[in-house]
Amino acid sequence: MSGSRQGGQEHGSFWRDNSLTLAFGTAFLLVLLGQALAGHADFNAQLTDDGLQRISLGEYMTSSDFAVDVTENWQSEFLQFFLFIFGTVWLVQRGSPESKELHKIGSESDHEQRMGDHAGKDSPRWAGTKDWRQLVYSRSLGLVMGGLFVLSWLAQSITGVAAYDEQQLRQLQDPIGWGAYLASPDFWNRTLQNWQSELLAVAAMVILSVYLRQRGSPESKPVGTAHTSTGVEG
Amino acid sequence: MTPTAGSRDAALKAAGAVALAGMLAVFLTGCGASGARVDGARDAGRAFEQALASRNYGTACDLLAPETRAQLEEDEKQACAKALEGQELPVSGAVNGAEVYGRQALVRADGETLFLSQFTGGWRVVAAGCTPLEDKPYRCVVKGG
Repeated sequence: MSGSRQGGQEHGSFWRDNSLTLAFGTAFLLVLLGQALAGHADFNAQLTDDGLQRISLGEYMTSSDFAVDVTENWQSEFLQFFLFIFGTVWLVQRGSPESKELHKIGSESDHEQRMGDHAGKDSPRWAGTKDWRQLVYSRSLGLVMGGLFVLSWLAQSITGVAAYDEQQLRQLQDPIGWGAYLASPDFWNRTLQNWQSELLAVAAMVILSVYLRQRGSPESKPVGTAHTSTGVEG
Repeated sequence: MTPTAGSRDAALKAAGAVALAGMLAVFLTGCGASGARVDGARDAGRAFEQALASRNYGTACDLLAPETRAQLEEDEKQACAKALEGQELPVSGAVNGAEVYGRQALVRADGETLFLSQFTGGWRVVAAGCTPLEDKPYRCVVKGG
């Protein structure tokens, strides 16, 4: 293998070392474009039915109709990770590699978390502090996921009311304000249909990974590991 | 290629900036129509009302959306200007305000509401002579199919 070793971690090319992020990031952009193409065709079909002028792909991709379809999915994904990150501090599943070991419930000691006096030379700088920086950094993953959830849910509500009101005008009905939209079936239908699927996916992953294996995946226990082993990743 | 920590940081910062820009674009997308577009819809509504007030039905017909005009001509079995003259459209001559969402607009005039949509040639009237009904679409004297 051509990679070098540093600190117990083998280093290869930039592309190999970051292949997981790069592959999913690229796939995200391609699928987003696919959604734009399909959504554009669907939206134009509706405009044609209503006797209105069709719009270009560029116009569609900057429309509230496209934005609400994108953000309603984003918010639920970030919510899923936010809940999973915070929930797995306190909730466990015996036998699941997605769960920590059963006796580790809670935020754990500074020693276990390598924080404060227990931080090592290679620890992130803020992990070794003892003030607000440690408090923030030690919850930064959940906070950022939670923040992205709030922002994308807010974006869903803003673009949602704009898309809803455009639809209202096409149907010769009065537009409604943001506050009224937050209490509307359209907003909650878009929101809850995404939340339920994310919660189902998490519950399925947690429990199926107790009994099923994927050889070589860190999301699975090693193939020969007992069903009762908890917090073991492959 | 083995990038330095600095170049990785720069790549991460660039990715973060792109993500933030995307989020900002999403917010701006939903932040309603620009003043120019609202003015454009209001001006088109006002021009339609003034054309009716001055009995200039040809001009009013030119401001109708294609499907609305075609539907009017089909329903009345005569040319648009003549057909429009026969409609009992309220004549206000003035507009009070406009709301724009995407490519659709609503213009309120004295005694009626106009619904407009944006076309290549500008804003066109999709429905005219509209009065509200509780929890239902407006009832309109002239509208598309």
